[in-house]
Amino acid sequence: MKVLPDIRMFGPQALLLEWPAEIKLSTHERVMRCAIAIETKFVNQILEVVPTYHSLAIYLKAQEDLTTFIEKLKLVLNNGSEEISKHPQIITVPVCYHSKFALDLEEISTSLQISIPEIIELHTKPLYKVYFLGFLPGFPYLGRLDPRLNIPRRRAPRPWVEQGSVAIGGKQTGLYSMDSPGGWNIIGKTPLRLFDPNKSNPTQINAGDLVKFEPITRTEFDLIRVEVESETFRWRKEAVDD
Amino acid sequence: MIEVMAAGLHTSIQDLGRYGYRNLGVPVSGTMDQAAAFRANKLVGNPSDCAVIEFTASGPILSFEIDAVVAISGALFTPKVEGVSQKLNIPFRVKSGQVLSFDTPSAGIRGYLAVQGGIQTQEYLGSRSSYEGITPFGRLKKGMRLPIRALFDASVVSISSEVIRSNFDSMEVEVTKGPEYEALSESVRSMLVSGDYKVGVQSNRMAYVLEHAIEISAKEIITGPVQPGTVQLTPSGQLMVLMRDAQTTGGYARIFQLSERAINKLSQKRSGMAVRFQLVDFQNNDK
Repeated sequence: MKVLPDIRMFGPQALLLEWPAEIKLSTHERVMRCAIAIETKFVNQILEVVPTYHSLAIYLKAQEDLTTFIEKLKLVLNNGSEEISKHPQIITVPVCYHSKFALDLEEISTSLQISIPEIIELHTKPLYKVYFLGFLPGFPYLGRLDPRLNIPRRRAPRPWVEQGSVAIGGKQTGLYSMDSPGGWNIIGKTPLRLFDPNKSNPTQINAGDLVKFEPITRTEFDLIRVEVESETFRWRKEAVDD
Repeated sequence: MIEVMAAGLHTSIQDLGRYGYRNLGVPVSGTMDQAAAFRANKLVGNPSDCAVIEFTASGPILSFEIDAVVAISGALFTPKVEGVSQKLNIPFRVKSGQVLSFDTPSAGIRGYLAVQGGIQTQEYLGSRSSYEGITPFGRLKKGMRLPIRALFDASVVSISSEVIRSNFDSMEVEVTKGPEYEALSESVRSMLVSGDYKVGVQSNRMAYVLEHAIEISAKEIITGPVQPGTVQLTPSGQLMVLMRDAQTTGGYARIFQLSERAINKLSQKRSGMAVRFQLVDFQNNDK
């Protein structure tokens, strides 16, 4: 069944499309398909689109008339953009859960009454959906975390979280793509570079992709780090068969 | 080259901003007061996408290593070449070896220095706008050297330099309804529009915090898109206006959206200054 989004004004030069307010894969899939359709059909009218969990922002070029654009947009939405979809890929992200990096793992283990090896297993088991990138350049919002690992964000955010830190907060897990202040609980670190402003495609992990965490030792962390720094590291990505 | 002898409080390179990467969480950035930067560029004959130097509250001290034609616009700073006062909003020449400095502004807070040909620092993701983590430096530092072009024969414009002082003094900031406006209760809505706000000290290029004494709050939302000019209201009643370096997504209620003109105006306000929202319809709102 087709679920058409609500169209709202979002300032003088932007629109917000909203589907039912929920964090669900099926809703997110609609957002992503619509984003691709709009990017394809309105190349000359839009600056860019920003997809999130259940909504999508469309930022229009300065000369574009909002009212005219809405009429054209409605035609595209009604004619069904649902068949267009990108093929997601599974991206393997190595994570070291060593206590040197996993600043909050011991505390979480105590408060959740789950052993550290079990937490690592629960965290590495799922295939996570990348809902969108936000908060920081290249920061992926990944869902869904095993409910047993749901833990609120820290009461006082840290003033400094290192790039590569792997964190959990609420129902989500994420990767700090840059050094930044942050309030999520840190349970590990990846040696990968998650955002590279020197490349025209600065991110490897993008909205719609799937992420799999793979536990690594400290030695493996250091070895991968060397590869990343010498630009010889190859990301592990595989296509999803549907 | 221009050498930075002293950086000032918060000085950075800015252009029209970084577009096409917001879906990756990359902020737009760009000049806070776009109208002032546009004027400075126009005065030296630059296209509007040339990078300028933005400075805040206290200006930089800059030593020019080659001859240049410059113009300064925005807040009412007093520019000085070798200690001699120069006019704002009029192009003038700085010779090789001379030093450009600024006295503190009598109104406004952000100044713009355009150099003919534009500041030629390296572009990252299609823009020269400073942003920590994307450009090598988030702001200028003492000792940095900024590449500029050698003088060329562009026409320099002498637009009538009408500095509208009331723009700096007026406290009205025009807004349209944000996505969560209609979900607010009637009483919160009327308090918001009649409320008096003061720019908080934590205000910066990412967000302006508006202090107030009214009883307002809004529920958190499922994280969604935000943009420069989005006014967020938190469950604890904090009111924030997102500015040019804002995140691309956020989880607080988006109650208003500032027009471009209103963002420019707000970005000239310093902490302690009064602000009021003026709710307008989309039809009356010519960006």
